[in-house]
Amino acid sequence: MFKKIFFHGLVASVLASIAAIIYNHIYFFATEADFSKVLNPASIIALNVIICLLAVFIYWPLLTWLKRKGEIVFNFMFSIISFACVIIPISITLPLDIQFPELFPGLAVPMVFFPAIAWYTIKPLFTLTQQVT
Amino acid sequence: MKKLVFPFAAIVLIVASAFTLIKSQDWKISDNYSIKFDGGDPSGEFKGLKGTVNFDPDDLASSRFDVSIDVATINTGNGMKNTHAKSAMWFDAEKYPTIKFTSASITKSDAGYEAKGILDMHGVQKEITIPFTFNNNVFTGSFQINRLDYNINTAEPKHGAADFKVDLSVPVSQ
Repeated sequence: MFKKIFFHGLVASVLASIAAIIYNHIYFFATEADFSKVLNPASIIALNVIICLLAVFIYWPLLTWLKRKGEIVFNFMFSIISFACVIIPISITLPLDIQFPELFPGLAVPMVFFPAIAWYTIKPLFTLTQQVT
Repeated sequence: MKKLVFPFAAIVLIVASAFTLIKSQDWKISDNYSIKFDGGDPSGEFKGLKGTVNFDPDDLASSRFDVSIDVATINTGNGMKNTHAKSAMWFDAEKYPTIKFTSASITKSDAGYEAKGILDMHGVQKEITIPFTFNNNVFTGSFQINRLDYNINTAEPKHGAADFKVDLSVPVSQ
């Protein structure tokens, strides 16, 4: 079971990273605001992998412990935590040489939701409910 | 021939002194200057420095600074704080768009120089002394300032820092 959950997290992190990198490029072309010192492909991939693997290590014990209800609890937790994390890009203080810091939330806030969206998107491919019940 | 030596030397001196007078003491502010303020939270910098920098270490009496910065250029590294800083609650950039410093006197000190003058900020004019050095065509200075002295958000004296350390580094060219 853990192997499946682990791959679920890994694939979700890859999807979220791809989406975030594409969005990063679109945002740069639209605003010409360069935040590459803070958000670049390497940091985007690292963040998404960390978040999705953290999700794996929360999802697996929850599923083991609460069975069916574990998934419900996890989904609520993931959504609530993602929403709460919106505050990070809004309140972060960027290096002073970065121009237009007021445009940073427009780039980073949507990205906060990418791991959760990717996780839920590929969930049907890794359905474990039947195994658990 | 010997009789001509002194008159010739006098002419050379007069001509040389004329060139000394021609030598410009007006300095042009380079783009890579920095005006940073540090109050812990918030900290940041200003841009939009312009004005007249007239400085001659050998003639401090006629040296003078008359410079201003654009309040709207404040950058704390956070967009929300920038908007907040420019609002009527803090700097009120719409009503007071610039911060000006006009020197009244520049004197030599142990560490370098001191510029005494009027700092006009947020509609309040106060006399301050800015200690500075001038090496390799770069003015470097540091001084303390209290926002409450300039009626900046006096309603909330404990909201954020009141005392700020201002660090200046202004490279110039002729």
